[in-house]
Amino acid sequence: MKELNFTVNGSLHSVSCHPAKTLLDVLREDLDMTASKECCGKGECGSCSVLLNGEVVCSCLVLVGQLENEEITTCEGIGLTANMDVIQESFVEEGATQCGYCTPGIIVASKAFLKNIDQVPTIDEIKTALGGNLCRCTGYTKIINAIQMAAKKELQEKGAMPAV
Amino acid sequence: MLISEMDIITPQTVNDCLLILSKKETEHRIIAGGTDAVVRMKEGKWLPSTWINIKGLKELRYIKEINGTIHIGPLITHTDIIHSSLLQKKANILVEAAREVGAIQMQNMGTIGGNIGTASPAGDTIPALYVLNAAVELQSLHNKRLIPINLLFTGPGRTVIKPNEMITNIIIQPQTENEIGIFQKLGPRKAQSISIVNVAIMLSMAKDRECLGGKIAFGSVAPTIIRAKKCEALLPLNPLTDDIIENIAKIAWKEVMPITDGRATAEYRRDMASALLERGLYRLMRRWERK
Ligand SMILES: Cc1cc2nc3c(=O)[nH]c(=O)nc-3n(C[C@H](O)[C@H](O)[C@H](O)COP(=O)(O)OP(=O)(O)OC[C@H]3O[C@@H](n4cnc5c(N)ncnc54)[C@H](O)[C@@H]3O)c2cc1C
Ligand code: FES
Ligand code: FES
Repeated sequence: MKELNFTVNGSLHSVSCHPAKTLLDVLREDLDMTASKECCGKGECGSCSVLLNGEVVCSCLVLVGQLENEEITTCEGIGLTANMDVIQESFVEEGATQCGYCTPGIIVASKAFLKNIDQVPTIDEIKTALGGNLCRCTGYTKIINAIQMAAKKELQEKGAMPAV
Repeated sequence: MLISEMDIITPQTVNDCLLILSKKETEHRIIAGGTDAVVRMKEGKWLPSTWINIKGLKELRYIKEINGTIHIGPLITHTDIIHSSLLQKKANILVEAAREVGAIQMQNMGTIGGNIGTASPAGDTIPALYVLNAAVELQSLHNKRLIPINLLFTGPGRTVIKPNEMITNIIIQPQTENEIGIFQKLGPRKAQSISIVNVAIMLSMAKDRECLGGKIAFGSVAPTIIRAKKCEALLPLNPLTDDIIENIAKIAWKEVMPITDGRATAEYRRDMASALLERGLYRLMRRWERK
């Protein structure tokens, strides 16, 4: 057992656990943050995606002992039902979620991707950005539409695009 | 060793790390991005009693030009490579290879040192490093040695790196004005997939399609990366017309010694080695003519 300190969604957490435990297990078991999901457990599906210092990574492949003083953002930190992010609103409006298992990971990956855009991304750009996230239900079309919708809203807010 | 009993230590400097590596009491292994290490830990293949976490060693995360060579720190991530304007300009083939690694999640965590350290015959940056004449610096507490990349690997997952050594630098020769390179990969899925076959091609061009010589390195078709010497020998003999390209690609099967595994059969790999080489040379010529 070791005492480990790191920031999750803006607040400092101190967790006492074995250091080779994955960040995903710590989030779900020790911190009760269950948005991040385990599916493959080996980096292939993206359902466990979180932001580590702003970059999207698979939390199933990060050991908590590597995280001393690092900053993590999970889907909970992007928005909850009461204060949804533009991306989450767009997913609801577009109906881009079915069983919902992949959704938190996709929201996190989209958040990292949309941070750097200056125009509405093309379908191919979105496919590359989300290549590491699998969805078994939606067929992806609505997910892509939702991300384009969120991009438009964000650009309009920034004044980089005229409102329609 | 149970995962719940493993320790992780985080050295603050390279020297600290070398000191830990020099001690034999614990059975340790370096972890950088962890994208190979954690997968193998979960599979029960790598179960050290202590992980030496080097991910935060800023000293080892650099890309710089020194006396006509480029030095790349082992903690440079695939994302760092993709965004490096120096590499885009002078070692574009490495940028193309890094783009093919996994998907964004793996590119953000995975490092070039880890890609070399895992020594997979399918590692995507390795063929690119072969054609860039890379040399890998290995450091131990009291010693430093430079190993040409083609002498580093001794088999799948095996290298000449000693237990008390770590990779501290990767030195490549930048591409010159008349050199053009391309990386081609075939995987089962577009993202997140390990190569079934990959190939890095670097050509030195004169005018039109006249080729002065070149290097071709195949991955995933032999126990380590291999240079296709027979194909290379044919490069400077004729202008690289589409017909000649087809002929060169046809003899690629003589160079490769693939195995059948879960990803593909040996026969398929042979055919695809030829197909990727042909496609790569063809695309390179198109790029060259547009340049
Ligand atoms: C889903 C998925 C998809 C992938 N897709 C690809 C792909 O398309 N192409 C590809 O090439 N790879 C792929 N990989 C493999 C992996 O992401 C890469 O090999 C990556 O570059 C490994 O880097 P790392 O920092 O994560 O290594 P780690 O896992 O941290 O380490 C790997 C090995 O290297 C050693 N090591 C690390 N740094 C050093 C050092 N400085 N000195 C000495 N030894 C060192 C470690 O001890 C360990 O043995 C994939 C992995 C996953 C999980
Ligand atoms: S659970 Fe982490 S990538 Fe699938
Ligand atoms: S909504 Fe079910 S997996 Fe994506």
